[in-house]
Amino acid sequence: MATLSWSRAASRSRAWQLLGAARRGSSSGTGDSPGTGVSLPEPEKRPSGLTGAGPQQVPSKNVESFASMLRCSPLVQMGPAKGKIVLGQIFHIVEDDLYIDFGGKFHCVCKRPEVDGEKYQKGSRVRLRLVDLELTSRFLGAKTDTTLLEADAVLLGLLESREIRQKE
Amino acid sequence: MAAARLLQAVVPRFSCLGSLGKAAPSTSQLSSRLYGTLLAPEANQQVEPNVINDRIITEPLRHPDFFNVKELFSLKDLFDARVHLGHKKGCRHRFMEPYIFGCRLDQDIIDLDQTMKHLQLALNFTAHIAYRKGIILFVNRNRQFGHLVEVTARDCGEYAHTRYWQGGLLTNAHVQYGTGIRLPDLLVFISTLNNVFEPHVAVRDAAKMNIPTVGVVDTNCNPSIITYPIPGNDDSPLAVELYCKIFKMTITRAKNKRKQMEVLYGLQNKADSS
Repeated sequence: MATLSWSRAASRSRAWQLLGAARRGSSSGTGDSPGTGVSLPEPEKRPSGLTGAGPQQVPSKNVESFASMLRCSPLVQMGPAKGKIVLGQIFHIVEDDLYIDFGGKFHCVCKRPEVDGEKYQKGSRVRLRLVDLELTSRFLGAKTDTTLLEADAVLLGLLESREIRQKE
Repeated sequence: MAAARLLQAVVPRFSCLGSLGKAAPSTSQLSSRLYGTLLAPEANQQVEPNVINDRIITEPLRHPDFFNVKELFSLKDLFDARVHLGHKKGCRHRFMEPYIFGCRLDQDIIDLDQTMKHLQLALNFTAHIAYRKGIILFVNRNRQFGHLVEVTARDCGEYAHTRYWQGGLLTNAHVQYGTGIRLPDLLVFISTLNNVFEPHVAVRDAAKMNIPTVGVVDTNCNPSIITYPIPGNDDSPLAVELYCKIFKMTITRAKNKRKQMEVLYGLQNKADSS
């Protein structure tokens, strides 16, 4: 019964992994394959020391232009943010408020849900449905938009550990 | 005076310093305008022999990238730290338009090729200032990164100001802090805006006091009066951590190089005299 609900969810939606490059240490310049259900990136077989030794790498092989890096990045491949499912990581908690970083410019702040409230700790991976990448609005009489320096997202739940086991 | 002329060689923009430098030390005590900038270099020259001092100071000026700051960062590092992400189109400042690569679904993307060039220039300048034992002040009013900036400044032996900026800190220094105060030789802004999204007062004050500034400018900032602007994201933690790490590495590298050169030329001088 549980596995059935997982596969149904997988066919309905796919989660974008925007956090991949910097936080995980995987040096994939190309976007993640969105076709597989909940897209956890397979751990790269290359030694993770490569990312740290970036500038000292042989330049001839790895010179990728900014334009191509941008085009292949998950953020651009994702398209409009409204309604997209992404994976995030909690990096700060203030009582009931969870500050979640999903790989965009800003983080989002969500209320701790009643279900499984204690499981949301610093470092937990969660699933979010994005509403907006940055909350801005132009008020009457203002020359520029006022920005809240926050993104807006709906917390769907913790990343199911069952899916990790299925992937492997 | 010679130091002022050398500074003029490094940064031709400060040719006004040349006119200041010609004033005799005695008259500088009378005019309060010269007070903050001129006092310290005079003392240095009396202590060290002129020959060594000149060699140590002029040697880095012969190379375009003496401290090799290019190897401290790469395009990939900047990209992974989300330096290219800007604010929404509505927040854009008109003067940032040359630095913007484009606008994707209402979000501005900063051109990282230009950022690389500007970052290299800014780091080179910072390294030269640190090499010449200049005082560097990190300024940041973004509360999320205040502690990080203070720790960075402490770790490289420089100074930071991440609290409320009182009006006359630079412009009224000799009244607020007494006579004989030495002002910073470089201001580094990790974010040029204050908490109400207006340009930080220190940007304008540093320009008034002829103090060069290096600053990270986001798409909603005004880059005009900043001497070495670095177009880039100043809101993401990863980006700010990257900037702090790079500045710390540059300043420590420059200071170590200075010690190295002093030993090298000191030994040479001893070998010549003996």
